[in-house]
Amino acid sequence: MTESSGATVSTPSELSARPVRFAVIGTGGMGGHHARNLANLPEVELTWLVDVDLPRAEALAAEIGGKPTASMEEAFASDDVDAVLIALPTFLHRQATELAASYGKHVFCEKPIARTSEDGQAMVDACEKAGVTFMVGHVVRFFPEYERLKQLLDEGTLGQIATVRAYRTNPPVMERSPWFADVEKNGGVVLDLMIHEIDTLRWFFGDVERVYAQGLSFLPIHEKRDYTQASIRFRSGVIAHVEATWAHATHRTFIEIAGQYGLATYQSEDAATLVIEPTDGIEWLPTGTKVAQRTYLKPSAAAPHLKEVRHFIECLRTGEPVRIDGVEATKALTVANAVLESMRTGKPQFFNEDGTLATA
Amino acid sequence: MSAIDGRPIRVAILSFAHGHAHAYAAALLASPDAELVVIADENEERGQNASATYGAPWVADYREVVTRDDLDAVIICSENARHKEMTVAAANAGKHVLCEKPIATNVEDAIEMVEACKANGVKMQIAFPVRFNAATVALKDAVLSGRIGQPLAIAARNPGTCPMDWFVKPELSGGGAVIDHTVHVVDVLRWMFGAEVDEVYAEIDTRIHDIEADDTGLLMLKLSNGIPVSLDTSWSRPANNPIWGGVEIEIIGETGVLSLDAFHNNIQVVEINGPSNRLIPAEVSGDPEMIFAFIDAVKNDTPTQVNGVDGLRAMEVALAAYASAESHQPVTITHANV
Repeated sequence: MTESSGATVSTPSELSARPVRFAVIGTGGMGGHHARNLANLPEVELTWLVDVDLPRAEALAAEIGGKPTASMEEAFASDDVDAVLIALPTFLHRQATELAASYGKHVFCEKPIARTSEDGQAMVDACEKAGVTFMVGHVVRFFPEYERLKQLLDEGTLGQIATVRAYRTNPPVMERSPWFADVEKNGGVVLDLMIHEIDTLRWFFGDVERVYAQGLSFLPIHEKRDYTQASIRFRSGVIAHVEATWAHATHRTFIEIAGQYGLATYQSEDAATLVIEPTDGIEWLPTGTKVAQRTYLKPSAAAPHLKEVRHFIECLRTGEPVRIDGVEATKALTVANAVLESMRTGKPQFFNEDGTLATA
Repeated sequence: MSAIDGRPIRVAILSFAHGHAHAYAAALLASPDAELVVIADENEERGQNASATYGAPWVADYREVVTRDDLDAVIICSENARHKEMTVAAANAGKHVLCEKPIATNVEDAIEMVEACKANGVKMQIAFPVRFNAATVALKDAVLSGRIGQPLAIAARNPGTCPMDWFVKPELSGGGAVIDHTVHVVDVLRWMFGAEVDEVYAEIDTRIHDIEADDTGLLMLKLSNGIPVSLDTSWSRPANNPIWGGVEIEIIGETGVLSLDAFHNNIQVVEINGPSNRLIPAEVSGDPEMIFAFIDAVKNDTPTQVNGVDGLRAMEVALAAYASAESHQPVTITHANV
């Protein structure tokens, strides 16, 4: 182990010789999903499940193993944690990351990195100071469709790119978890959903020059439905139209890239490989036409959430840099917050060449 | 002008510079109430071809046509910058006018056109076929009947292949993709909501084709009823795209979402000796209904469903978009008095 700021940090050679011991912080939707993935990995030992809702952690521990606790400090102070996976509400990311770093734990944090760019930068600084690896879970970079598009772009198949259209739809998630509707604390649909497209498009096209956005996040309706549409102009000249919504009935993603030499389009429902069509619950309209729900599935061998965590573990073991570090994630967050600010003020937001927001 | 009883409405098409003229000619032939009397085109080859296809004589100079006594109305499909001279000449000769969109390339010309038609007591319609498209009509009905509750936001696009030719010469077209493709969706929104576009922010550039005109455009609009709208106008479909492009309007509402893809009703064809993928419209809806509505208005002496002011208001949005793209700031749209 190496010493940094008083805490010991597990080294690549140590972690190559034995399973990586994980504490999962937050055992809700994403945390539970990650914990189940980790529990099945031979290169991982899932040692702690942390949740302020202790019964929830206990229930999960009974299912997949690990020690339940309501205290992050208890887990971090123990001698059986190398790395933590943070899946808390956004506004708690900074506190948890800084605490983990202070104990010398490597950090994998769910997206978005934080609520504010200042918080994101503070997390980057804390991990750097502690000498721990820090990765942010921008999982779209691990989806085979987007990896393939990135390759297509790198190969120059479409020539100079003119315009991109991307969206991500989801049902009104605030009906299930009201904290999502708290734009002040969590950034609403922009920081939770649109940040996927923002990070992906930054990965594809580089830094952003200016944004302009409009939508519902600052209207009273946002407690029931949230939707944002953004115009993003990249320094490379690419013009992007990005939408994120918690106002649709189903989850769907779309990206279309138009260039000099052609057009590439991907829509998750068009690409579905399995469709479920229940015949109960059909709604009959007065005209006699029926409205039925179809569920479009795309069972993937790729399992992107598993892939991103395995990538993190691989980097811990080799010492290689992670695909999405805190700096990249903070740049995406800065763009996302500029989208919110443009929506709030009705004015375009401009960026400096280093990715920071230009003050008017 | 009084109603014309008992005989078909006699129509001339002035110029086939805009390819839509072919759909309009076909609709005239299909209408029992209309007769295509003559085709004017200063381009002899184009005029002769149209004459042979649609069975009407060809004349080179439109000015000889508009003054004919055996004519009730004209359909103008010239280059955008020439709409004004043809409209004013036809109106002064007492002929009703259906003019291709955009109405003109600048506000002054549009006002002159509207006033010439008014002064001569002739009808004026702008060719906005999308609001006559059956799926678009159904979209409006669904919105107004409350199918999705209160409409909250709209994402629209009207992408297409690049038409090249005079369309990419700003002195003839007034711009590029933005002036070409802004007006259809703006017209549909104005018609659907009875609202104006108050403000526009736009990103516009030339990034696909080696042309003088813009080919890439993204407009962010605010309607006077408060609804935000995005509109992609780009000529972003490759020349060998299976179909010309499309009109898509998605309306996000309080209790649901309506997604229009107005020209999506196609049959996919793969030919062993042809293109690997071609889309053939199963039904053409929009152009014929739009022509029939014009003929009906002339025949019954009723107001046209789309008038010159509608054309002006849609064009004003495109012109403001160009100004916004220059300044990188939202532009408040001033509506010219007419």
